[in-house]
Amino acid sequence: MHGRPRKPLKPVDEAAVAAKAEKLRALQSEFLSNHQNKIYSKEAVELSAKLLEINPELYTAWNYRKLAVQQNLAQCESDPESVNSILDEELKVVENALRQNFKSYGAWHHRKWVLEKGHSSMDKELGLLDKFQAMDARNFHAWNYRRFVAALMKRSDEDELEHTQNMIDKNLSNYSAWHNRSNFLSRNCSVLLSNLMKKAAPGFTSKDEVLTREYELVREALFTDEDDQSGWFYHLWLLDQTVRSEFPLLVSSWPVEGSDISLPAADYLDGCASMNVFHYSSRNFPLVLYFNQSVRGVNSSTVSVSCGFNLNIDLIWKPLSSTDSQSAKVWATHLAIPDAELHSSEAYQVEVKVGFSQGIVSTTGVAYSHPSQISFQLHLQKTPLESGQDSRFGRIQWKDDCFAVYEPGSAEPDLVNLLDNLTIKNEVESTASTWQARIIDDETNIFRDLLDCKIGKLTVARLLTAYNSLRPLDKPVHCKEVLELYSELMKLDPSHYQYYKDNHSLVLLQQVTSSKESLLSRCFHYRDSTLSTNGSPLCLRLNNLAISQLGSFEKLLWVQMLDLSNNELQSIEGLEALQLLSQLCLSNNKFRSFTALESLRYLKSLKVLDISQNEIGSHSIDTTRYLFRSPLSHSVGSCDWNINYLSSETYWEAFFVLKDMGLTQLDVAGNAITSKSFNVFLEKLLPTLKWLDGVEVN
Amino acid sequence: MEGEGAATERQRRATASQVDQWAVQDHVFKIYGAFASIPRSAQSVILELQRDKHVEYLTRGLQQLGPSFVVLDANRPWLCYWILHSIALLGESVDDELEDNAIDFLSRCQDPNGGYGGGPGQMPHLATTYAAVNSLVTLGGNKALSSINRWMHDAGEIDVRACYTAISVASILNILDDELAKGVGNYILSCQTYEGGIAGEPGSEAHGGYTFCGLAAMILINQANRLDLASLIDWVAFRQGVECGFQGRTNKLVDGCYSFWQGGVFALLQRLPAFGGEGFGTSDVEVEWVSDSTSEGDDEDRDSSDDNEALHPEQDQEGHQSSSHSPESSTAVHIQHSRHNQLEPLFHTMALQQYIVLCSQEQEGGFRDKPGKARDYYHTCYCLSGLSVCQYSRSKNENSPPLPTSVLGPYSNLLEPIHPLYNVVSRQYHDAQDFFSKY
Repeated sequence: MHGRPRKPLKPVDEAAVAAKAEKLRALQSEFLSNHQNKIYSKEAVELSAKLLEINPELYTAWNYRKLAVQQNLAQCESDPESVNSILDEELKVVENALRQNFKSYGAWHHRKWVLEKGHSSMDKELGLLDKFQAMDARNFHAWNYRRFVAALMKRSDEDELEHTQNMIDKNLSNYSAWHNRSNFLSRNCSVLLSNLMKKAAPGFTSKDEVLTREYELVREALFTDEDDQSGWFYHLWLLDQTVRSEFPLLVSSWPVEGSDISLPAADYLDGCASMNVFHYSSRNFPLVLYFNQSVRGVNSSTVSVSCGFNLNIDLIWKPLSSTDSQSAKVWATHLAIPDAELHSSEAYQVEVKVGFSQGIVSTTGVAYSHPSQISFQLHLQKTPLESGQDSRFGRIQWKDDCFAVYEPGSAEPDLVNLLDNLTIKNEVESTASTWQARIIDDETNIFRDLLDCKIGKLTVARLLTAYNSLRPLDKPVHCKEVLELYSELMKLDPSHYQYYKDNHSLVLLQQVTSSKESLLSRCFHYRDSTLSTNGSPLCLRLNNLAISQLGSFEKLLWVQMLDLSNNELQSIEGLEALQLLSQLCLSNNKFRSFTALESLRYLKSLKVLDISQNEIGSHSIDTTRYLFRSPLSHSVGSCDWNINYLSSETYWEAFFVLKDMGLTQLDVAGNAITSKSFNVFLEKLLPTLKWLDGVEVN
Repeated sequence: MEGEGAATERQRRATASQVDQWAVQDHVFKIYGAFASIPRSAQSVILELQRDKHVEYLTRGLQQLGPSFVVLDANRPWLCYWILHSIALLGESVDDELEDNAIDFLSRCQDPNGGYGGGPGQMPHLATTYAAVNSLVTLGGNKALSSINRWMHDAGEIDVRACYTAISVASILNILDDELAKGVGNYILSCQTYEGGIAGEPGSEAHGGYTFCGLAAMILINQANRLDLASLIDWVAFRQGVECGFQGRTNKLVDGCYSFWQGGVFALLQRLPAFGGEGFGTSDVEVEWVSDSTSEGDDEDRDSSDDNEALHPEQDQEGHQSSSHSPESSTAVHIQHSRHNQLEPLFHTMALQQYIVLCSQEQEGGFRDKPGKARDYYHTCYCLSGLSVCQYSRSKNENSPPLPTSVLGPYSNLLEPIHPLYNVVSRQYHDAQDFFSKY
């Protein structure tokens, strides 16, 4: 269908061509009559060979030959000599046909059929392949056949790797050869991994060696010619293989190990259930587990929670993923502590044990094998909130003068102490990453020589970022350099501006979240006349950073009030991990649709939301759906809402994202979608709403 | 002359693939350069689709399947399809006698047990069955459509192409059932590579033709969402290169036929309800949710700036040259959107039209892989199909004719719209659907 060679219409002797065609037609009709009458005589079979050598595309003749072979094999019983000669003949016909047209599907297929009968030898087949691959090094039939032969005859991976190396030596741009190499290597890596699991010893040297060798090989190609893409693609793949963590590990959690959490007593909440509560309640206390990769099997038998009181029921862990109902990077559950169980004077020790019994597995099937334990204390706080009984309570305003610089020693002392300790130490990871970090360090030093070209800059930036990702516990290094590299790239290569910008944003967030000091420099007290000083919440302000993408969520699980305004965000994917979030400002960003805000559906504590001054409704095509994973793009769920309200797509999306939220305050002004009817729709959709665009809702 | 020294040094260490690539690039840029240097009035003449010449070339092919097409003797239904579909795209039809001959010929290729062979008396094969059925659908009418014996036959080699042709035929004939679709989804899924595209078989490289076949088949069996669509889009978007056309695989040369195989992937994606599209209007594809699109904005319609951009690729080269086919990954496409407020489609449709019209089109009729290659019916079919995809890429549905700004050259270049799942002209598809839904 595609890639078939066309015969150019050369000016040839017309008479000769016509004669040839006539002869072919005669042969063909004779063959078809043999086929129909099931004649498999020696002459008839030879005739089909003759035809196929002229026209390998004649797949009917291949099938005819298969029938003939089957019959002849049945007749000769199992005399090995006759069997061999019958099958040899087939191989010969295929070879001749391929010489005529080596892109013939039928011919390659016929050869596979013969080989599956256990005929031919590896040397013979590889010899043939070498001949054809010399003619066209990228012919995918030949590469497919090569993989088939190698698998069928159990050729060693090392030998096949050597072959691809020879092909690459001949032509560095041969992406088919690089591709085949990656096939063997990814298999190899997983084999090494399973050996490792068996030995349970730090025998990483072997993967280390393989990767080091590959880096050397591709480096040679890249330094020979930095303009060729094949090597760069391979280098990128290799880097991914190097940093990809095979073992599922727990990265962070809420609450943090060793923390001391105050809970408002249930009695004090009853009167003001719908007000702006900045603290989680004892009725609905979230536990969050953040893994380094998507895992499944998190449940009450793989994660045990013990505390000083009786939980009554098994906890239900939910994956925070919009695309998968079985697996996720982040899992959450809520403790509902029975009122009668808590006494204000006591502190309750809670222990969460993850992975002490088997069952948590990565999506690639690797078991979670490094049990962790998180202990923290719960206190009951009986201080009534002063404005608690007032039904008229203040509206949150995200103005600068409502925020005061964080003063050490004021509110939230427990929390502040924890900011040093946000991620979980994994010994396995740190030993495993030693050699990887070394490889990447070496690569970085080498590629610094290419810093005068675009791809060189990008590669160094990627390597430095990869280095940090291997050492999540250490303070990230070279952040400044990486940020500068991406800034230069944005200027140098405007057509990929957004890609560089996104990466720049991620590194910037890494830098901001890297230490307690730097986090605290972005923490502010929200001051409002209606709130007591004691209830004054700490707000993390990541506004005005020009970020276009969010990241570092594992270090933000504690955040309850978050200001992301005045950035260039197009999606909040990942924000669902922040289960404590109750106030969120997203105004003045670049959200184009409600699909971009889908993570909100998982933020059950969210009360205050500002999405004003965005681009919702101003684009007819929702690019979010192209660029981010979203189940909205796949399924609609059941819809019991009065369909009249959902007459336009955007209303429907708003419905889907906001429907179960208990928002008390919402700002949507400054989006193309807003209109009187949209506001009416929102009021109906959100019965808990007290403020809409700064106006009190009746 | 330091610069020259560096250039020769570069030439010296270049790989065979690079030398080929540069040669093609130079050739193409010369054509664009020459085009840019002539007066505007002359430009519009050169951008014209040589309709008459194309129809002449195509009709001739149908009349006399010449002796030099020996290789295609096992593929005659393909030849029929390529020619008939090309003629239909040009809005023409064949005369009654040729039509009758074609129907008779294809009927003789049909196996008594179902399916079509490559010629009379040959065994049925999925690929030729697809070509024969699409030919008959394209011819349309009672005689052509009722000549199809709707019975499937399984045989032959298994790959993604076989999956697509089987599913496509079953779907257009309205005989697609769960039994047939069984296992296909898993198989195609196993062919999506780490690059994002789909390979012909597991372990093989991602390839334009198979990516189209794989995605179309997945849509037909309603499992497209199982694919990693985000990385698939990335992969396809990066196959459009400085020459303005598409390559079929990473680091290969541009080829006009991928105008459809790769361009068609975008046409498919754009119509997925998942991406805010209209759906496919077929009974087999469950339309998950179709919006009422009355409130849609028309900002993209006002944007005609890329018209000029496409015509002067040299100006664009700085950014474009390095961006295409490069390993920087994803977001180039997305930037274009936010910067130009140009929302659809996800590839440079004007640039592709330019490659098809200026580089693939032969003035004497027919289309070719690239300048310097000979024309043939295969490339004619897929260049025209790709051209149609480009022209309608901004149309919200097939009934609304595109704006002149979406059509490169004179508006008379406008072709008939296709149904991207089957690559037959839309109107013919709907007629066939009506016909087969009655039985």
